[in-house]
Amino acid sequence: MIPFLHKLISKKYRPKKGEDSRTKSEEPDHTLLMEQLDRQKAFYENILNKLPTDIAVFDSDHRYLFVNPGAISNEEYRKFIIGKDDYEYAAYRNRPASVADKRRAKFLEAKNSGKEIRWEDTLPDPKGNMITHLRRMYPVYDEHGELSMVIGFGIDITERKKMEETQAELVKQLSAQNRQLTDFCSIVSHNLRAPLVNVSMLTDFIESTDDPVEQKLLVSKLRPVIDNLHATFNELVESIQIRQDLEIKREDVCLDDCLQRTIDGLQTEINKLGATIETDFKEISVINYPPQYLNSIIHNLVSNSLKYHHPGRSPMICIKTQKEGEKVILSVKDNGLGIDLVKHRENFFKIGKVFHRHPNAKGFGLYMTKTQVEAMGGRIWVESVPDEGSVFYIEFDNRIKKAS
Amino acid sequence: MKSIFLIDDDPIFVYLTRRIIASINCPCQINEFTDGELALSHLSQIGDQVELLPDVIFLDLSMPVMDGWEFLKEYSALKPKLKKDIALFIVSSSISPQEVERSKSYRAVTDFLIKPVEKGKIVEIMDNVKV
Repeated sequence: MIPFLHKLISKKYRPKKGEDSRTKSEEPDHTLLMEQLDRQKAFYENILNKLPTDIAVFDSDHRYLFVNPGAISNEEYRKFIIGKDDYEYAAYRNRPASVADKRRAKFLEAKNSGKEIRWEDTLPDPKGNMITHLRRMYPVYDEHGELSMVIGFGIDITERKKMEETQAELVKQLSAQNRQLTDFCSIVSHNLRAPLVNVSMLTDFIESTDDPVEQKLLVSKLRPVIDNLHATFNELVESIQIRQDLEIKREDVCLDDCLQRTIDGLQTEINKLGATIETDFKEISVINYPPQYLNSIIHNLVSNSLKYHHPGRSPMICIKTQKEGEKVILSVKDNGLGIDLVKHRENFFKIGKVFHRHPNAKGFGLYMTKTQVEAMGGRIWVESVPDEGSVFYIEFDNRIKKAS
Repeated sequence: MKSIFLIDDDPIFVYLTRRIIASINCPCQINEFTDGELALSHLSQIGDQVELLPDVIFLDLSMPVMDGWEFLKEYSALKPKLKKDIALFIVSSSISPQEVERSKSYRAVTDFLIKPVEKGKIVEIMDNVKV
């Protein structure tokens, strides 16, 4: 039964003023007419009920006049909702009133604008899968221009939505890869081609002279160029490996152990500079992360703090972990040279970017650290004041898992 | 005597360039700077002293602290104050067409040279300097 149809039809066939509504003599004709009407109602009702979309019809106060089984499959619920609004229905189904708030807002938008509105709506189904509907709502007016009802219908676009999301993710990946490729070209030309040019020029000079002293001098100049080429090449290979290690394994890594490795590796440097390293791993002492990445990240940040120490004081490095909701923030603070962020913020972590006059600065370290952080879904940023020091922050996007 | 400013952080390349210039029998004064910032602050100090300003600048792109591009931006602003018409050559190991294209947007740039620079090219550049 479709109450609103009945209402509309009966309204239409209501006897006009002046007519005698009590002409019982026409009873047989009237019955025939009602039978015909019932058949027609059944016909339309059948169509509405069989349509594979959600259909709901509201009166001008947002009360349900009709819903089809596409919208509410349970017959009992479907019966309940007629004459009610979304707030009553939400209470009946033990659902939060916020769902009703959203629908009321959309209803009012359609009612007040007098135009069709469209929106996308994602809600969990009874099994907990997220289902997205494209919903449309439009007001219908009677011959006097009065709002007689608002029709709403929705189509399940979950599949399409999923596809769109996959595509968006692919586009994101592709543009990231393209950027990496551009970076890669720039490293190849600046960091690999430059020493190669030097090697070839030195060789030309060696070939063009007969003076053995001269030759010896030129050969001695080849050595550092070749060493540099080696170092650059190894770092390049390492950075490419990060890209390929997408399936790299996470483990519970103890930060104290990890830092100890770094300290062992940099011991000579630490002693020479009289550096102090303080740690505060009280909040978080274990991070679930690929161990080689975490080692490399901590090594890079600590060795940067040592490398760019302030000439007027001994390096003080403070490494700390903090819990922020589901995330972990690792910070490495130093009292070194600092960096002018006003000048360098944009290309801070860019490959080949070097901020200080230091013989061994190639601009690979921070780029690599950023890559290792981002490959695992984290973030890295910096705060710094020239001549005072820097603080590097890393946010790890993984929850601390208890060893299971 | 002609004067050259070499702005490049690579000591080997600077050494080799010096050797090439020495071999072409063109008496030159060569000043070295290992990054853009050092060169820029020197240039702004000597801007009105024609006898100290260089005839030619060879500028590398990939350098610490202030790279070649950052230098060009600052240098373009400084150039009108310099009392000499200086020829500036980018000398880079980059083979990226985008970088060559980008250099054309700077009027201060005379040409983009890709390392290694041929001896003949240096002869040509030095010949063009009017003393």
